[in-house]
Parts: sequence; C-alpha cells; structure tokens
Amino acid sequence: MAKRVISQSAKQLICICMVAIVLAPIILTLFASLKTKTDMVNTSPLLLPSFAKITFDNYKEVLTDKQLLTGFKNTGIILAVSLVFNVLFGTITAYIIERFEFKGKKIIVSLFFLGMLIPTFVTEIARFQIIQKLHLYNTLGAPIIIYVASDLMQLYIYRQFISGISVALDEAALLDGCSYFKLFAKIIFPLLAPATATVCIIKAISIINDMYIPYLYMPKNKLRTLTTFLMDYANAQLGSWQTLAAGIIIIMIPTVILYLIFQKHILAGVAAGAVKE
Amino acid sequence: MTKLNKQRKIFIVLSLIIPMTLLIAFVVVPAIDLFRMSFTNWDGYSPDKEFVFFENYIAMFQNKDLWMSLKNNAVYFVAHLLMIVVELAIAVILTGKLRAAKFYKTMVFMPYIINGVAISYAFSYFFSPINGAFDAILKSVGLESFIRSWLSDPEVVNYVLAFVSLWKYSGYHIILFIAALQSVPQDILEAAKVDGANSLQLFRYIQVPAIMLMVDYVLFDNIRGALQVFDIPFVMTAGGPGYASSTFTLYTIKTAFTFSNFGLASTMAVAIMFMIVIIYVVQNYIIHGLILKDRRKS
Repeated sequence: MAKRVISQSAKQLICICMVAIVLAPIILTLFASLKTKTDMVNTSPLLLPSFAKITFDNYKEVLTDKQLLTGFKNTGIILAVSLVFNVLFGTITAYIIERFEFKGKKIIVSLFFLGMLIPTFVTEIARFQIIQKLHLYNTLGAPIIIYVASDLMQLYIYRQFISGISVALDEAALLDGCSYFKLFAKIIFPLLAPATATVCIIKAISIINDMYIPYLYMPKNKLRTLTTFLMDYANAQLGSWQTLAAGIIIIMIPTVILYLIFQKHILAGVAAGAVKE
Repeated sequence: MTKLNKQRKIFIVLSLIIPMTLLIAFVVVPAIDLFRMSFTNWDGYSPDKEFVFFENYIAMFQNKDLWMSLKNNAVYFVAHLLMIVVELAIAVILTGKLRAAKFYKTMVFMPYIINGVAISYAFSYFFSPINGAFDAILKSVGLESFIRSWLSDPEVVNYVLAFVSLWKYSGYHIILFIAALQSVPQDILEAAKVDGANSLQLFRYIQVPAIMLMVDYVLFDNIRGALQVFDIPFVMTAGGPGYASSTFTLYTIKTAFTFSNFGLASTMAVAIMFMIVIIYVVQNYIIHGLILKDRRKS
C-alpha cells in the first residue's frame, strides 16, 4: 500500500513538472504584459508586480491598434471561405474514392497521396509563379486557394468515416430512384457531420496559426492576418517587451479557446490522422 | 441500367473536376516545375533563363552553409529522438490510474495548438539577455556562471531552438502514444499483473511491443519534421547569427526569396523532396515488410 502511495506521488510530481514546463513561457509572458515599462526593469521577470501596480495599458495599446481589427477580419474571411470549400471538396472526393471503381482511379488516388507527401514550405518556390500569373498575389485569394488545394488531411478523416457507413444505404436510395447527387447531398453529407466538425476545428486552428503563406503572399498592410499582424507588431516594438507580451497573449487566445472547447474532437482527429499508415 | 451508368459517370466527373484541377494546378505542376527550374539559373523575375545542366546540383553539394544548416536539422532530429523515451513514459503514466489525468492530457497537448509565431516570441522573451526569465531562473539557483546570450551565441542558439521545438511538438507525440496505448486490451495487462509483472516489465514486454507501429510512425514523423524545421528559427533568429541556426528549409527559402536564386533553391527543394520520398519508402518497407510480417507469423 505504501509503495502505491509513493508511486502515485512520483507520477503526480512528474506531471506537475510537465505542466510547469508547458505553462512557464505563457505565464511569464502574461506577467510581462501586466507590467509598466519601469516595472519591467525593477521587478523580477519571474514575478508579478505588486497588485496596485498591475496595468492593463499594454492590452489597451494592442487592442486599439487598427491593424489588429484588420487581422481579425482577414483571418475570419480566409477561414470561412477555406473551410466551406475544404468540406465540400473533401467530402465529395473522399466519397468517390471510397465508394466508386472507375478508370484512372489509381492515378487520381496516387496524385492526392503525392500531394500529401510533398514538403510544404519549399513548394512555395514554384507555386509563387503560379499565384502571380493568376493575379492572386496580394489578395486574400492566395491563401484561400492554397489552403483549399493543398491541405489534404481531411481526406483521411472523411475516408475513414465513410468506410464505416453501410453501402446498403446507397443501394437502397438508388433503387428508390434517387440520383447520385441527391444521394450525396441528402444522405451521405449529413451523415458526415461529426467528421466535418473534427475537420473544421483542426483546420481552423492550423489556418489561424499559419504564418508563412500569408507572410509570403500578402505583404500589403491591409491584408494582415492575426499571425502576420503579430510579426509586424513585434518588429515595431523592438525592445518594448511589455506591449509585445500583450500582443502575444491576445494572438494566442482564439486557438486556445477553440482547443479548450473542442478538445475531444481535436484529440480524436489528430490521432486518426496518424493511425492511417 | 445504362442510364444509371451514364448518370454515374457524370457524377464522378463533375464531382472530381474542381478538386483535381486545383490539385494539379497548385500541387502537381509546382512539384514538376521545381525539377525543371533546378536545371536553370533563373533569378525569379527576368524573362529569360539558361539551361545549366547539373551546375546547381554541383553547387548544392559544395555549399558549406547548406551543410551546416543540415547539421542543425540533425540536432532537432536527435533531440526529438531522445525525447521519445520521455514521451512514452509520460504516455504510460497518463493512461494508467492517475488523479487529474484529464487535466494533464489537456495541458500536454496545448503547446501543439498554440500559435507558433506567438510562442516563438514568448520564448524570445524567455531567453532574452535583458531581463530574461531564463537568466533569472539560473540566478535564483546560483548558476549565474552558465548564463550566455542564448539566441545570439552561435554555439548554443541551435540547441535553444531545438528545445523550443521539443516544447511545441512533444505533446503531439504523447497524445499519439496515449491513443495507441489505449488500444492495448486491458485483460492482457491484468493477467500479467496477476502473474506478478511489475510496471517496468509491463511497459517493456507488453505495452511497447503493442504500440510498435505508433513508435515507428513517430520516429519517421521526427525525421520528416526535423528535415522541414522552419517556423521557429524563421521567427526567433532568422537563421542567425550567420547560419548558426539556419535549417535546410530556411536556407532554401532564403536562397529563393532573399537571394533571388530560384534555380539553386529549386535544386535544394528537389533534394528535400527526394529525402522525404526515400524516408517514406524505407518506412513503408519496415512497417509492412518487418513489423506487420512478424505479427502475422505470431
């Protein structure tokens, strides 16, 4: 019995250390964001200033920056449009690959597979010309079309889910004279709702957090996203850690909230994405 | 029936036409384009370019900064490789009976979903030489002598960035291990416990073999991830000082968009692609050829 208690406490200790390591950079940034410029120098970075000296001025300064609003708006638009098309194309492609046999299917499947294998960042070297030729450079269309065309993880989640839906359902509907489009739209698509929820949440987080594509394709001021807003802000705040700290915390909040609310979906989806192999 | 067949064909074609066009235009064509550009000296904007045969490939192999960058990638790989042991241990602890296990699981995965740019700046602050928290921690435990300029000393900067990468990605692996461990049948574990196996033996002889596939996946994910490290050095140090914290991908991107040498950059991109494909083939061979074959026999 005593042995058990010791082993339980050892495990708790390990986990508490782990939580401390995870939270340390976040909490210390939070501390900095609540300090005045003088307190940044006068108090230890490991401690909050005395209660009376806590200030929210740094947050006020970030929140009144007009570019932040632009960032929220642009991220929102990119997110909404990309998700709609990702779900639409993802469900129908996965459905066709999973349920139909046809000429050239092997080639199509291997092309999609190739798309998932190709390394992300370096492909931009060649994709850049295409985006420019299509006059999408410096428009919201650039990230949207790239997210829709090249981010293909949803296919795994949808295929796995569709393979669990009975084929008898399709057959019965077709026998009743239902067209393929109606079958997909009225029967299959609604059944995929749980998978769609997972796909939307995981993609939303990765799109909100994405840095390189908006950075590369949308240098224009008006086209800042949440993440590139923070990069700009950081460059302008050189050395003024307390305001940058407030910016960091504000940019972290949206995905952390999404995570805390939809944790179950996210963890299940992430594991499903890996087990495919 | 023929009517249905025709309808079927129309449905397939109409459904796939847009996704396929997008895939070809934005994924397949760029990939082929990288090959084509790797044999030219294109600078990214002039209308003409020359065909230079294998000049870029030779230049790539002779580029010392690139090799140094690749060595930096190796540091990330080794760090994540060693971390697998810790990740497995934490995963086992979290799958067993433990108070507040749910809370710990929430915490452990959080770094993975936090905005990478935001956390990179948070770590820049953490390791900053002026009023930095890490230096304050060292001082408070009497280790002042270890203090260095963590992000501008070429000897340590890459290790500091590798640590940030561990902070961000370990939780993902722990969650994958937990998912795999939960698929180990409970009665096997109970039976072994009744026979007097201790938790180390359970871990060594039952849990690890059962999740070998996932360990394998994480291992290869580490290689792929280490090869493509980009965000953290890009935001925190831009690869500096000099090329001390540059990585293969960062160097490639810089070659294209900063130095306007799209030919050479494409060559490097082709090299990364080749490495990724080879890694995939080897991994597939190991999983299907060795691990799953063993399992079929037993």
